[in-house]
Amino acid sequence: MSFTLSQKEYSSNVKFLLKINQEWHIARARYQVKDLALKHGFGQINLAHLITSLSELSYNLVFHTNNGGTITVSLLFCQDAIGIQLLCIDDGPGITSIKDALTDGFSTNGGLGGGLPGTERLMDEFNIESSSKGTQISCIKWNV
Amino acid sequence: MNIIPILQLQSNLIASIQTELTDEQALAFQSELLEKNSALNTKGIIIDVSMLDVIDSYMAKVLTDLAKMIKLQGSKAVLSGVQPAVASTLVDMGMKLNSIETFLSLDSAFLYLTKEQSGKTKK
Repeated sequence: MSFTLSQKEYSSNVKFLLKINQEWHIARARYQVKDLALKHGFGQINLAHLITSLSELSYNLVFHTNNGGTITVSLLFCQDAIGIQLLCIDDGPGITSIKDALTDGFSTNGGLGGGLPGTERLMDEFNIESSSKGTQISCIKWNV
Repeated sequence: MNIIPILQLQSNLIASIQTELTDEQALAFQSELLEKNSALNTKGIIIDVSMLDVIDSYMAKVLTDLAKMIKLQGSKAVLSGVQPAVASTLVDMGMKLNSIETFLSLDSAFLYLTKEQSGKTKK
């Protein structure tokens, strides 16, 4: 699935900011985003893709960062499409090799190694920047 | 503490996972299931996930690990009730649940296990 929507103008509306540094924050985040997506008519499949991605990003914040991080959840409007953007920010230690991190089966902690590459496939738009000062991931799921 | 009830039905154990598990809960579930399996000498284990609307890579790892451990004990673990949206997400993510057989419903999983067990000579 590829979308050219990002080239078009869309308005964005920040809904809430989720602080995630402990495991139970992940469940809470899931409920909040699920609620928002259902309210705006997301179908079951899009919803599962969005929540799974949120889950993967949150696990990364809990297990791979110094102090956890935040996920900013925004609603996007573009013509008749509604999207949800997850902006995930942490303050380190950063990803040594983004190429490795986006490769299926690569894991530094014995996981399945499908988190980030999976998220990239599940979401319609995916952007990642990382340095030793922190990582910023922005991804969007459109409900069309 | 394990929060997932584990029930015995003939020579099978049935566990229905109702919510996402934390690390600690998953470990507790794992150890109780393995202990019960060995204490009750069960042949099959059905893990029902029909209440889960999300299976992320963490949950997938918990399930595949569990199936491997149960296989080492000489029993067989199967998965039942994978939701349509979950199936789509797992494939799109590239998650492989190779080590665990799956069934549409608890009913078909149970039928399969009992059939398989009646065909085998008792150990």
